[in-house]
Amino acid sequence: MEATHDVLVVGAGCAGMRAAIEAHDLGADVALLSKIHPVRSHSGAAEGGINAALGNASEDSPEEHAFDTVKGSDYLGDQDAIQILCDEAPGDVYQLEHWGAVFSRTDEGRIAQRPFGAAGEPRTAFAADITGHVLIHVLYEQVMKRDLQVYEEFFAWKLVIDDDRCQGVIAWDLLNGGLKTIGAKTVVLATGGAGRLYTGTTNAYACTGDGMAMALRAGVPLKDMEMMQFHPTTLAPTGVLITEGCRGEGAYLLNSEGERFLKNYAPNAMELASRDVISRAEQVEIDEGRGVDGNVLLDLRHLGAEKILERLHGTRELSMTFAGVDPIHEPIPVRPGAHYHMGGVDTDHELGITELEGLYAAGECACVSVHGANRLGGNALMETITYGRRAGAAAADWALTHTTVAVPPAVESDAERELKTLLGRTKGERPWQIRDELARTMHENFGVFRRENQMKEQERIVDYLRERYENVVVEDKGEVFNNDLTQALELGYLLDLASCMVVAGLERKESRGAHARPYDYPDRDDEKFMKHTIVRWVGDHPVLDWKPVTMTKWQPQERKY
Amino acid sequence: MTEAADIHSWDGPTMDVALKIWRVDEDGERDLVSYELEAPEWACLLDVLDLIKDRHDGTLAYRKSCRMMICGSCGMRMDGRAVLACKERMKPIVEAGHVPTISPMGNLPIIKDLVVDMGPFWQKIRDVKPWLDPGYDEASERERIVSQQQMNVIHKEALCIMCGCCVSECNAMEADPDFRGPAALAKGMRFVGDARDQATVERLNEYNDEHGIWDCTRCYFCNERCPKGVDPRDAIAKLGAESVKEGVDWDMGVKHAKWFVTSTKTTGWLRETELVPKTQGILSALKETKFALALARRGKVPPPGPIHVAADVDEARNLYDLVKEQGRDGALGIVQGEKALAQIEHVLAADPDHAPASRISPEESGGKSAGSEA
Repeated sequence: MEATHDVLVVGAGCAGMRAAIEAHDLGADVALLSKIHPVRSHSGAAEGGINAALGNASEDSPEEHAFDTVKGSDYLGDQDAIQILCDEAPGDVYQLEHWGAVFSRTDEGRIAQRPFGAAGEPRTAFAADITGHVLIHVLYEQVMKRDLQVYEEFFAWKLVIDDDRCQGVIAWDLLNGGLKTIGAKTVVLATGGAGRLYTGTTNAYACTGDGMAMALRAGVPLKDMEMMQFHPTTLAPTGVLITEGCRGEGAYLLNSEGERFLKNYAPNAMELASRDVISRAEQVEIDEGRGVDGNVLLDLRHLGAEKILERLHGTRELSMTFAGVDPIHEPIPVRPGAHYHMGGVDTDHELGITELEGLYAAGECACVSVHGANRLGGNALMETITYGRRAGAAAADWALTHTTVAVPPAVESDAERELKTLLGRTKGERPWQIRDELARTMHENFGVFRRENQMKEQERIVDYLRERYENVVVEDKGEVFNNDLTQALELGYLLDLASCMVVAGLERKESRGAHARPYDYPDRDDEKFMKHTIVRWVGDHPVLDWKPVTMTKWQPQERKY
Repeated sequence: MTEAADIHSWDGPTMDVALKIWRVDEDGERDLVSYELEAPEWACLLDVLDLIKDRHDGTLAYRKSCRMMICGSCGMRMDGRAVLACKERMKPIVEAGHVPTISPMGNLPIIKDLVVDMGPFWQKIRDVKPWLDPGYDEASERERIVSQQQMNVIHKEALCIMCGCCVSECNAMEADPDFRGPAALAKGMRFVGDARDQATVERLNEYNDEHGIWDCTRCYFCNERCPKGVDPRDAIAKLGAESVKEGVDWDMGVKHAKWFVTSTKTTGWLRETELVPKTQGILSALKETKFALALARRGKVPPPGPIHVAADVDEARNLYDLVKEQGRDGALGIVQGEKALAQIEHVLAADPDHAPASRISPEESGGKSAGSEA
């Protein structure tokens, strides 16, 4: 064993760093472990903002925030969890400001807030269109201030489980090579999402669902895995994100006829309807021939150069670089792209506690669930902070009252043997074809709209790809910066998660939030399906179960924007 | 409008890309390897590296993550110039018939291929105490009141993604590896310029040290190569201006700069003969006597005698007074200059008949002292 800590946080994005800071401040010996340097984490790519009812731009309340979130979730979010998030969000945002976050400001010098999709009030606090960047750097500043240990470029591979407790992680040390075991009394998973399951995704190469898959393999169930959000404004061909903040600042979505087509789908909220609604509307426009080369158009021109330069500077930079379009002068071609996993490791509604003692989860890799079937823009960053803090505190509390860490030698030697087998294989397929086929077929068969036969086909495809994966060859046999190895391991994670998603998607025989089945089950069915899907890995395949949704004061109603 | 490639593959147009990569193995052996491959027309350098790694050589090592210019992982050199691989479009390069050479960033130890050891980079960042010193332990219940104008002072520095491109290109660092360097100093300015930070003078004293702001050679390579428009050299200039303003003036660099101001304010021109003693002090300047005499013999030193005062010296003095009066000394003046230039560029591009926006009024200009709690 390399070292032991009270708390080991795996993943060092916003949720992971927030958890580590909290655990440290409560007196625990904490370490972060991440396959990339903390500031490289994909939280930094969040653009539009973070939701909290600060009331700086209008009268607002946590109650209204909670209602918008419940409705946005298409009533699959757990209302007790949502209440916690919305009540604690303002305090958590003030904390970030006091740490030095460079928020944009109102004329009165308070934190500025902009309108965002499906929000009743302008509630999204922001730093121009680089809010995630600002937050990840302010959190890393606080990590440096506390001199927290970071296992940088350590690829987490396996959870160590002994005595029915999670007691650490086995990781591949990218810079120096070799498997390293880091023991810990508690482990917090904060590894983010798995957007790399799709060809067109806003997600970074690093977003391969590592934490979800590690938990799954350790017997911990995943929740609501069919719920993958498609963001309405991503750039062709690879899916680079154009922020919802554009529409928050007043941008229009136009079809090839120059029409603001949302009037036919969401006549009241128009461009500020929820993401699932807008992505579906775009897809219909494109499918029915009113797109422009497979896109619709995001028009910012009427906002004027000054506003674009001050508040959407990063968006302009992205669209000029990746689409060759200056939004001051031309509309940006955009399309839906895979963006955010509402599903993830099943936790309790308060503290990120999982079924496995000593294991916690927070951020996108967790499913608390505050987002249900559709996340509101600006709620993800907020969840990373509020639930990152809560999970960090809970992990520290438990660690400080328990004393031992044990890693049985067999756990390490089994991992060594498995690795040796993988690296020893010289004949077989390179991973990239499997990876590309997985992403392409998930996009085709498990995208914005879902058909029974396509999902069944996808189930077969994933099984077939899993078989091929058994013979995958890692070409790099070296010790130093062998990310050929880690990329092969990531593909294994993605394949496991795809199986879980398809199984859950097939069984949810209704349309709710991101799970749209207009061809066979066009309506939401609260009687049968107002419940979470739960997937466990048993033997060599996923097994589906259900879990009730917690409802407090908001009865389901028809969802219109 | 650009043509959109099919999302599912690259059925769209492709191109034949050729490039050379400096491969460096675990023992430091170097080899320039050529690659030729087919890639979609939309490919950037990073996409091409991915294709090489997938289909040609799985041992090629480089860092990547977001592929949208925000994570800062993929800094490397293309033809000796630091770039983010995800930002460099290959099509114009291919069309020009050019075969670029890819190599790791400079001024940092190479680990393998295009992967460098960022350890020294981060150590320098840590050395500037890169966290806000709010001057209190218990935060108030709500946010502090700070104007947008005050926050604008650090707008550019806050854009930094810590990719290391500026450090790679820093000439001063090449000569003195201990130089704090452009990234760390820009990070320093991010706090010195933050109205909420209460450690300004302490920071400035530290950043004025032996390997600090005055060791910058002003080659401007960092500004030129920064992929995010942070302009680290300008950040260093802002730290210099803040040092003068805050009276952190013990370094020769500050004294040198101050003499320019004093000289032009009093006589309207730069009295170079006095520059050396004013910068180095009288004793140190005496050591240069021999050199000064040699200059004088060749007629390079103006004769002593009544000090010449420029006819329009009042213009220089008015300018000085105006800057002081409006609080435009220190970093703010540089920031306002940058903003005005950006406005001219974009407003004129959109509407050539439209005159540049008028100057920002002094009331709007904010300033460090106004940061308060609420």
